[in-house]
Amino acid sequence: MKEKIQEIKKDFDDNLKSVSDLKALEELRLKFLSRKGQVTQLFDAFKALPTEEKKLYGKEVNVFRNTLQTKYDKLKADLEAAKVDEKDVIDLTLPGRRKELGSLHILSQTLYEIKEIFKSLGFSVYIGPEMESDHNNFEMLNFPADHPARDMQDTFFINDDFLLRTHTSPVQVRLMETSKPPLRAIMPGKVYRNEAISAKSYCLFHQVEGLYVDTNVTFAELKGTLIAFAKQYFGEDVKYRFRPSFFPFTEPSAEVDLWWEPKGKEGRWMEILGCGMVDPNVLENCGIDSEQYTGYAFGMGVERIAMRKYGIDDIRVFFDNDKRFLTQF
Amino acid sequence: MKISLNWLKEYIELNDLSVDEIEEKLTIAGLEVEEVIDQNKIFENFVIGYVKEKHKHPNADKLSLCIVDDGENELSVVCGAPNVDQGQNVVLAKVGAAIPGSDIIVKAVKLRGEKSEGMICSEKELGISDNHEGIMVLEGDFTPGQSLSDALGLNDVVYDIDITPNRPDALSHVGVARDLSAMLNRELRKPVVELEEDEIESKKYAQVIIENAEACPRYVGKVVTGVTIAESPGWLKKRLTSIGLRPINNVVDVTNFIQQELGQPLHAFDLDQLAKSKIVVKSAQSGEKFVTLDSKEHEMSEDNLMICDGEKAVAIAGVMGGENSEVTVDTKNILIESAFFTSASVRKTSKKLGLSTDSSYRFERGTNPDNVVLAARRAAQLIAELGNGKIAKGEIDAYPEELKKLKVKLRYSRIERILGYFIAPDKVQSILNSLEIPVVGSDDESVTCEIPKFRPDIEREVDLIEEVARINGYDKIPSVDRVNITLDPKIDQTQKGENIRYALKELGFREIITNSLLNNEVAKKFGKPISSLNPQTIEMTNTRTSLIPGMLTTISKNIKVREVNLNYFEVGNTFISNNEGEINSFDDITEHENLLLAITGKQRDDEWYGKGRAYGIYDLKGLVQDFMTKIQLDKETRYQYNRQNNSIYEQSIELFVQDVQVGIGGELSREVLNYFDISQKVFLFNIDLDVLRQFEKKERKFNDLLKFPKVVRDFSCVLDKKVKSEKVISVIKKSTSKLLKSVKLFDIFESDSLGKAKKSLAFQLEFFDETRTLTDEEVSKEFWKAIESVKKEFNAQLRGA
Repeated sequence: MKEKIQEIKKDFDDNLKSVSDLKALEELRLKFLSRKGQVTQLFDAFKALPTEEKKLYGKEVNVFRNTLQTKYDKLKADLEAAKVDEKDVIDLTLPGRRKELGSLHILSQTLYEIKEIFKSLGFSVYIGPEMESDHNNFEMLNFPADHPARDMQDTFFINDDFLLRTHTSPVQVRLMETSKPPLRAIMPGKVYRNEAISAKSYCLFHQVEGLYVDTNVTFAELKGTLIAFAKQYFGEDVKYRFRPSFFPFTEPSAEVDLWWEPKGKEGRWMEILGCGMVDPNVLENCGIDSEQYTGYAFGMGVERIAMRKYGIDDIRVFFDNDKRFLTQF
Repeated sequence: MKISLNWLKEYIELNDLSVDEIEEKLTIAGLEVEEVIDQNKIFENFVIGYVKEKHKHPNADKLSLCIVDDGENELSVVCGAPNVDQGQNVVLAKVGAAIPGSDIIVKAVKLRGEKSEGMICSEKELGISDNHEGIMVLEGDFTPGQSLSDALGLNDVVYDIDITPNRPDALSHVGVARDLSAMLNRELRKPVVELEEDEIESKKYAQVIIENAEACPRYVGKVVTGVTIAESPGWLKKRLTSIGLRPINNVVDVTNFIQQELGQPLHAFDLDQLAKSKIVVKSAQSGEKFVTLDSKEHEMSEDNLMICDGEKAVAIAGVMGGENSEVTVDTKNILIESAFFTSASVRKTSKKLGLSTDSSYRFERGTNPDNVVLAARRAAQLIAELGNGKIAKGEIDAYPEELKKLKVKLRYSRIERILGYFIAPDKVQSILNSLEIPVVGSDDESVTCEIPKFRPDIEREVDLIEEVARINGYDKIPSVDRVNITLDPKIDQTQKGENIRYALKELGFREIITNSLLNNEVAKKFGKPISSLNPQTIEMTNTRTSLIPGMLTTISKNIKVREVNLNYFEVGNTFISNNEGEINSFDDITEHENLLLAITGKQRDDEWYGKGRAYGIYDLKGLVQDFMTKIQLDKETRYQYNRQNNSIYEQSIELFVQDVQVGIGGELSREVLNYFDISQKVFLFNIDLDVLRQFEKKERKFNDLLKFPKVVRDFSCVLDKKVKSEKVISVIKKSTSKLLKSVKLFDIFESDSLGKAKKSLAFQLEFFDETRTLTDEEVSKEFWKAIESVKKEFNAQLRGA
């Protein structure tokens, strides 16, 4: 009996040392002090002893149980006290566990925003190749060979017949050649200009071309459509103006300026797009009767629009792809 | 083009309009003002100062201390110029003045302990000349305090206008005044030429022969004799300098003045230098050498038009005169050339020689053949006046075939059809007349105009509609508030690209857009490149053959600014030549849309809850798998591995859909990384979207979900390290029935305790049937079939099941 008590006591003490929370303490209680626990079993064994032996061990067993119970109670009290503190220890000011977020380039976002507005106005969306023929990029669009109008768009030539498109307008040609009016579409994509890279210009940029050809298209409708776009994209109070300009493929032609007041600077007009009524020569080149059909076309620079919207003053940041820039959008 | 307001006012009354109002009028007329240089604004706070006293600066040898009267106060000004002296009238920049062309604002300061309340200026500081030897000392009567603009007539406003290529008529002061007169409905006062001519006719002095009338339909010569070459008078020099031209001498200045006034380029020959007193207009001989006024030698070809004398070439027609016949101080007799060269001819020559002048610029855009006599007479008038010359009678007018004016009919109904609003016929007629486009006929429905030769851009009805719209004002065009929309199905060819971008965004990638132009050395590493004839720099000679260089340049730049953990993608076109760089048709170009994924550095930064794990090849493969799942092609996808280093990748993973390769990727080779100066590992995967497109899912079908429970069984086995997991899975699949729905490898364990070069693989098998609950026996049967076949195929030992 004595050995048994010693054995249980040692076992209990060993177990007690490793108890660090209430859950483990409860396991300890179940093992030793519960109704099926070792101490209770020891009592059951004690009860079965002959009387004289009971006398011999009675006190010892009782003391033993009380000692264990006291140790248990003390630890329980300590752990419970410590448990209250644990809540204070949780530091919710720590940043949460997060995942890397992805993003679309701001030019893609801008392009898709523009696209959504025009889709809601009944436009389809077409694309075409960036490497184009001189024929589609210039000739069909009423830029005669050896005409100063060609100087308006500095061109990367591949050879006499091929080039990197200088505008998305050749997609107009492709569309008009393959489909019959009514045609209403926008045509976004990359375009190239052979200019030195600076804060104001890059060797490529993104354009959204628009075209509408039908039997009753007027400049008034062009104006209404573009104003609707400007208001929806930049807000109801956007200030704009249409002024005469020149593009070989439209007549009459216009440019649209938006009023811009950069932070802390004087306000000024900023050119945002070119537009006009499709030149009859272009319609005829594409096999469309220019007496029966009229059309309008426009082309806007996506970079310009994003710069105006977000207050970016250097076009190169779009193509540097610095993570600190990308994560802003 | 620069237009001086003071000059412009010679031809139209503008005194009641502000600088801004005129700018606005020009711009809404289609003559876009890009910049306004207003001298009144520039010279605000600059006044005439009178130096009352000059003392030596007590603390500096080279400085003087002046007392300057600015009309109101006597100011103390420190000056460093040696020529400053008592009794001088000088230009004083008062406190607050902005020194032109610099960021300097004059402030009240102490210089070496002495107060200085202004600055005495040099001509250079004022931007009037390059002279910076001392301060500008004014001679004549001036009042202290008088504004500099008033005192020196520095009160001009210069409008820098972007004249579009269709408007050669506006490349002159009179031309701009014409548009303003139409806009403002005001009188246009064109210069009046009245000549006192000598008795001897110009024809007696010289002869003009046109051999190439196609390139030169008209050539007018006018002679002025006995001219004294001298400096131009102040008024003329001022006109020229106001728009940035350098005065040379009275004859050259007059020709430049008239070019800017009337838009007609002129050339003045020293008549005595013209052999046989002859002008012959003819094509150059191939290989002929010619030295222009600027002492440069050019080699000519047959399509260049030359002006020759009786023996030799003396000018490149419409571009530049020759050294051999230019006006010098000794010149006495002048032949004024006022010609009409066709735009095509001059443009060809100018482009070919790379020589663009004010003259060629105007000829290229189209000059007015009906203006040449007036311009010659105007030049003769001014040259005779300024050089005391005698004007020979009449002109030599070589004009083999008169150029007819075009007649264009304009229907009122068509105006409304194009613009969307009605303009009254009398308004239409008055606009056309105000632009000097005479109406020569009209009826109830239309008007017919005779198009003046100064408007080569007007050929058709629609061109006249633009003129009417422009002068009436684009702001008068109404904007509709509703549109008709056709109800045919709409097409969006960019939708797939958009879906792909959003799928990648969801996977945590950031989109980049890089330059599509590359240098040749890099371009040819990735495919047969296509080069540009006229690249901007040697770094941009070729269109990209791959998205990889742009990506690596981007990664390299980011790492340099300490952004080292990156997961980027780009979607863009690449260009490969199918014909050794020769492009004769679209068939010779493969322009494909590609997607490039890139990961480098760590999955995330180190955080308090754990360190970020470095990206590895399995991250790359997983991302590709996720992407293929997103676009619903994961079921048809197969990967192939290439252990060979292929110079781009250390080892590559090739992506196949239904046996067509659509992508390749892997860990980039050290060689490539070194080229882009990157020291950390980079993993890339490229997918050709144009190839992938053919497999795109048109529709999605609902897959009846499971009504019956699935049964899951695991087993692990020991086999050779070299055995590829994919192979084991395929054996398991082959050996079982269609009740087996998936096999997952969930643990790999390697240890010497398993035996030399052995590994343990643990698989989880899922069984189910869509129509019933499976029994234990049938699952067990399938399960053990799988285990037995693995044991047999790979000589594997079962560790546990």
